[in-house]
Amino acid sequence: MADKYFKKILVANRGEIAMRVINACRLLGIPTLAVYSTADKEAVHTRSADEAVEIGPPPPNESYLAIDRIIDVAKQFDCDAIHPGYGFLAENPLLPEACGKAGIIFIGPSADAMRLLGNKVQSRIKMADAGVPLIPGMKSAGASLEQFEEAAEKAGYPVLIKAAAGGGGKGMRIVRSAETLKESIEAAMREAKNAFGDDTVYLEKYVENPRHIEFQVLADNHGNTIHLFERECSIQRRHQKIIEETPSTALTSEIREKMGAAAVKVAEAAGYRNAGTVEFLYDTEGGFYFLEMNTRIQVEHPVTEMVTGVDLVVEQIRIAAGEPISDYVRNISQRGHSIECRIYAEDGEDNFMPSSGKILYNEEPVGPGIRVDSGVAAGTMVGVEYDPILAKLIVHAPDRDMAINKMINALKDYRILGIKTSRRFMIDVLEHTEFRSGRTYTSFIETHMAGRKVDTDEVSSLAAAVSSAAMMRKVNASVGGGKKEMRPSPWQTIGPWEIGMRIGK
Amino acid sequence: MKNEFIHNDELIETEMEITSDGVDVAVGDSTYHIVELTEGKYRVEANGMKKTVCCVVNADKTFLDIDGLLIELGIPSEDGNSSGGAGAVAGEKDKIFAPMPGKIVKLLVKEGETVAEKTPMVIVEAMKMEHQVNAAAAGVVKKINFADGDQVDTETPIIELEIEEKEE
Repeated sequence: MADKYFKKILVANRGEIAMRVINACRLLGIPTLAVYSTADKEAVHTRSADEAVEIGPPPPNESYLAIDRIIDVAKQFDCDAIHPGYGFLAENPLLPEACGKAGIIFIGPSADAMRLLGNKVQSRIKMADAGVPLIPGMKSAGASLEQFEEAAEKAGYPVLIKAAAGGGGKGMRIVRSAETLKESIEAAMREAKNAFGDDTVYLEKYVENPRHIEFQVLADNHGNTIHLFERECSIQRRHQKIIEETPSTALTSEIREKMGAAAVKVAEAAGYRNAGTVEFLYDTEGGFYFLEMNTRIQVEHPVTEMVTGVDLVVEQIRIAAGEPISDYVRNISQRGHSIECRIYAEDGEDNFMPSSGKILYNEEPVGPGIRVDSGVAAGTMVGVEYDPILAKLIVHAPDRDMAINKMINALKDYRILGIKTSRRFMIDVLEHTEFRSGRTYTSFIETHMAGRKVDTDEVSSLAAAVSSAAMMRKVNASVGGGKKEMRPSPWQTIGPWEIGMRIGK
Repeated sequence: MKNEFIHNDELIETEMEITSDGVDVAVGDSTYHIVELTEGKYRVEANGMKKTVCCVVNADKTFLDIDGLLIELGIPSEDGNSSGGAGAVAGEKDKIFAPMPGKIVKLLVKEGETVAEKTPMVIVEAMKMEHQVNAAAAGVVKKINFADGDQVDTETPIIELEIEEKEE
């Protein structure tokens, strides 16, 4: 190893993304230090890093979000860089600022770029100036009917009337022709007044059957900004992505090139460094509109890695160390198809209700083109304090059909017991003819999965039969032939103990 | 050897016999031939069907994974009560519990209020998400034990209901 880039990296996160960073550091031969809250004493990331330091009680404000404490630990344990993962402090400009003061490298963009891109209004003005397409519509609330009519003509019908104070679909009206504009504005104003006490409404183009398509970008300190193609993340529940893939079935190579160039433009206009993601709304006619730029490594980054062969976290570390983007990364193409399914602790059969408890059984699928990024193991306690993501299952295959089949089988072979997951729900999405045909819009789950009902009564006899066998614990191991008594392992019967002395019964 | 399990408030009885390489379990009209592959993992054969099913037993429940579908069965205890597996236990419809430990965002009803079945009762925040808890039966709100902003566990009822007698 010619250059290790850093002496030691502090990983300011938990769960699967902490493991992802630790694994990238291992590739580069860089020692890692994990920080953990008292809830995560036995967590996988705590025991996987080279060193681990407790930083506070379970509430994130007192541990994973405690910037001063994290900086103190970094200084005390001689870490010269911090990787924030995603979530927690990843998009908080105070962390790169605190790192700067302490002489520690923050693996991510500058505080200034974070601030600009974190402000939706400011970043949209900046991007409009840079010539990046935005959803057409009014820049501010309309005062007269004429203003609305003019804006609607300019944007083109259908248009959307939205409450300025809005949210949750209240004070929102889709208008398909000029004749119904006036009454729709009035209805939206009444609704907005009732819901928010403010009847201010504005108008923008209504994008029908939109897709969520984002572009991965990398920018170094040597003037290189590149994109690594798209990810389509249209399959969402509660506005959160659950299945992502690349390439998108919607893009032609011509549109892909245009969108990629726009993504690079966004990053350059923001003075962006390191890895980031530019999100677009994509309509059915090939139009695309800038939504926002995420200033972190994304949950769904592995699908990009699978089709390009790039290790994005390694590139993040290299760029932060002042290196240029690796040569091989500048010559990539999209090879095959990749899909990611997020394994959340939630009940796919009960409206994605979060589930907590102890993981009693954990078996990950294996095979060529199957990747599991996990932050849990058998015995892990899944609490209610943190984001319920447990793991990500990623597959890679020569084409989309094969990738879908591989994912369905891998989801069946991924066995997690003790808490609920939505694996069966995702299998049903993947098996849906609309998904197979590539018609993946952000409305997919409400449109196609709303009436889904799983009848567990059908398999209850099978379940009871296997339960009987499991309760007896006397079933033969098939190898060996003869009957043998299954005994609990000594680890289960010994009780709490320490090497050298017993501490309890 | 006989066993009983509870699924969706229904009792399922099984009868098991040990065979040369595993067990045969009879449930209703079907017989399942089961071999343990490794701890918690079973090969099941019945009527030409072959499946690998995972199952673990913990306290008063069994947890199963059948092709990605998760099922929990209740194990009746000695005194005849049971965890009931998934879902609310019958007879507890007069108490509204938090689905998991969290914070009360908003109580949506007042004491003395008459509510219909499925009326939204309270919004609880846990795991950074809001969850609405609905009334499992129609009735009158008898008692509210918490206020907005309170921390709640899953043991103490948030709201107690006086259930309306149903006319059959």
